[in-house]
Amino acid sequence: MTVAVNRDRQSKLAAVNLLYKVGARNENPERTGFAHLFEHLMFRGTPRIPNFDLPVQMASGDNNAFTNNDYTDFYITLPVDNLETALWLESDRMMGLDITLPKLEAEKKVVMEEYRQRYLNQPYGDQTMLLRELAYKVHPYRWATIGRKIEHIADASLDDVARFFETHYTPSNAILSISADRDEEELFDLAAKWFSPIASRPVGNSPIPQEPVQTEARRLKVERDVPATTVTMAYHMSARGSQDFYTADLVSDLLSGGDSSRLYTDLVKEKQLLSSVNAYITGDLDPGLFVFTGQLLPDTTPEEAEEAFLESIRELQEHDATRYEVEKVKNKFEANTLFGELNVMNKALNLGFYEMAGDIGLINREVDLYRGVDCEAIRRFSLETFRPENCSTLIYKARS
Amino acid sequence: MNRPPIITPASVEVANARLSTLSNGVRLYTLASQDFEVLRVTFVFNAGSTVQDAPFTASAVANLLAEGTARMTALEIAEKLDYHGSWFDVNIDRDNAYISFCTLSKFFDQTMEVASEILLHPLFPQKEMEVYCQKRKQRLAIERTKVDSLAREEFAGALFGKSHPYGVSYPEAAYDDITRSSLEAFYRAHYTAGDCFVVCSGQVGEHETEVISRIASALPPAPEREPLTFPRVETRHRVFTPHTGAVQSAIRIGRLLFPRQHPDFTGMQVVATALGGYFGSRLMRNLREENGYTYGVMAAMVNFQQSGYFAIATQVGSDVTHEALDAIYAEIELLRREPLPEEELDLVKNMMIGEMMRILDGPFGIADVSIENILCGTDNRSIDRQISEIRSMTPEDIRRLASKYLDPEEFVTVVVGDDSIGEGLFDNRD
Repeated sequence: MTVAVNRDRQSKLAAVNLLYKVGARNENPERTGFAHLFEHLMFRGTPRIPNFDLPVQMASGDNNAFTNNDYTDFYITLPVDNLETALWLESDRMMGLDITLPKLEAEKKVVMEEYRQRYLNQPYGDQTMLLRELAYKVHPYRWATIGRKIEHIADASLDDVARFFETHYTPSNAILSISADRDEEELFDLAAKWFSPIASRPVGNSPIPQEPVQTEARRLKVERDVPATTVTMAYHMSARGSQDFYTADLVSDLLSGGDSSRLYTDLVKEKQLLSSVNAYITGDLDPGLFVFTGQLLPDTTPEEAEEAFLESIRELQEHDATRYEVEKVKNKFEANTLFGELNVMNKALNLGFYEMAGDIGLINREVDLYRGVDCEAIRRFSLETFRPENCSTLIYKARS
Repeated sequence: MNRPPIITPASVEVANARLSTLSNGVRLYTLASQDFEVLRVTFVFNAGSTVQDAPFTASAVANLLAEGTARMTALEIAEKLDYHGSWFDVNIDRDNAYISFCTLSKFFDQTMEVASEILLHPLFPQKEMEVYCQKRKQRLAIERTKVDSLAREEFAGALFGKSHPYGVSYPEAAYDDITRSSLEAFYRAHYTAGDCFVVCSGQVGEHETEVISRIASALPPAPEREPLTFPRVETRHRVFTPHTGAVQSAIRIGRLLFPRQHPDFTGMQVVATALGGYFGSRLMRNLREENGYTYGVMAAMVNFQQSGYFAIATQVGSDVTHEALDAIYAEIELLRREPLPEEELDLVKNMMIGEMMRILDGPFGIADVSIENILCGTDNRSIDRQISEIRSMTPEDIRRLASKYLDPEEFVTVVVGDDSIGEGLFDNRD
């Protein structure tokens, strides 16, 4: 197990973050949504501590977790004096759970309600699912964390649970990060005290099938009962850690970061084609997507919206961004980094995340990497990435 | 290994804000902390939707402040804030508008130059207003396809009455009737010194205080006006709103009570927390952990300037809507009948104190809490009072409060869900 610590002199709270390097990308395509279901089961008690939440709350703590395509993250914040309670609880459930059939069945129902609440009973709830299936044909990013279909959750068995724990919830697949106002050595000692007795098991990751290069433009049009049509265009881009990743992030800010961004001023304010617009990168570990998406005003056709996105792309490819504009998005990134470090929880989360991404030192160097992006890099990135044959277009049409 | 001992924090330390009153009467509160190289400045105006004459005026004014001023266009304002990485944020509720600026210390002056323009010289240009209205209209239409949003609106209407300022909601088409002159008039009437206080937290020193004072001192005095009077509350107790095809129903249950100043408010917060205020709460255990009816359920006390209410909110599977309602009523009844076990109450208390610490972690959270306290006519010293109040609650107190205030006769129940849910929904549930 890897341990990362940070002395936080400003907070009276401690944050304990435990990241397991398993996400939806590690799932069997016939059992999707399982990593997330398993995250829920981690709160269903162990032979030694039947209820996980009670001791956290008794210690004035708060805990939660999330799963994404790449990893699963569990976190607790509590008064620094109770730090060991968090380590006791996390080390305990790393030793083994106590999942019975009734517990599994009840939790499946909860997750199916989550599926309904967030994906089925929401306007545009299935939009990102459709986009994933369109843009990915092979890579497990083709399904969302919640799973490809609700039946996959219903089908999960106790055997699946045991196997998943065995192969993925082992110390060597975990990163513990702590931020608290305690001496760093003391934090390392505490981590060793609670976690070193746990024997490691081999991590049973199968290789993740990588997405072949897309060679043809893809399109999908669906109709739904929603008030407004949306147009989404997604381009494959490079993996986290590459210099292009930072260029891509910067380009997305240039396009839609703030009210002075290109797409907002041009398409929402000037031309009044869209009521909202966004350009973002999915930010995954494996090669992810660069996405343009906009919600159309009633008089705008999908063709007009698509053409408007393409025009903004041509602008990026044919003209250098001004130094001023590039400086602006770099400043914004720097400020957001600082705003993001105002509380103890974010620091622990970031430590775990960057360690997983392969280089914990990036926490302090990332601002420089953004600073290193120049006008030429932006143009080159745009030419290489925004090609018609690399694009998946989703028209999510409002039923009239 | 053995369970580590637990230490419950004896108190939650938070500095009281320093108050200076400006020549025009605006109160400026500062919470200096040199630990972070950032500042947040929030101007709070008593300019929420309760004081508007026409639908959506209050929110339109707040949101259009930065869309063009005497000296700067909307784009120039956005450029200048974005270039310095500063955040401009508008929040509005029924009572107040909160206009916030967050900035790195080194760009404080540049940010406040824009703040001064936005707060003192907004123009509400016609074109920006039209763009805003069509955007908002669409957004509201989308919101209203969600059962949860519909339930929230229906619930406010049921509690207070559909024409009461705390209960009213408007059709999307009302955005078409907004005019520039009504926005200007609202701005002149409500963005005044008499309606405003300012809270600044973070790396604030003499220079920063001076700059903020200069801006706030330029706010004009409030015009003469009639004190705000509210119409009589008209509560409806049972509301079902069909939403064809919904696979989940949204449920809201609650009742009108009192604002934060009431002696039982904190006590009722403890009751609400025990019932549905945390992950292991009674409703979460019952509806989520044991029965899998829902992904989440919560209960809370909600505070308004002139009122307050208790509410439970959840979204449950359509096919278990009736069962979920029964389970919620049963948990409330249990709380009214039997005292909370000592250990459970301790847990709730510790949880609430921990929650307070988490909210107060960082200069921006401290500002939020300070604002809330100021709005309630107190200051940050009330945090300690509130904590001792929470600590002093006994199991019998909880039972007494639940029994007194959570009378099923008084409940308002709102359900939004598929048409089929409505049938027999309120039979045998009086």
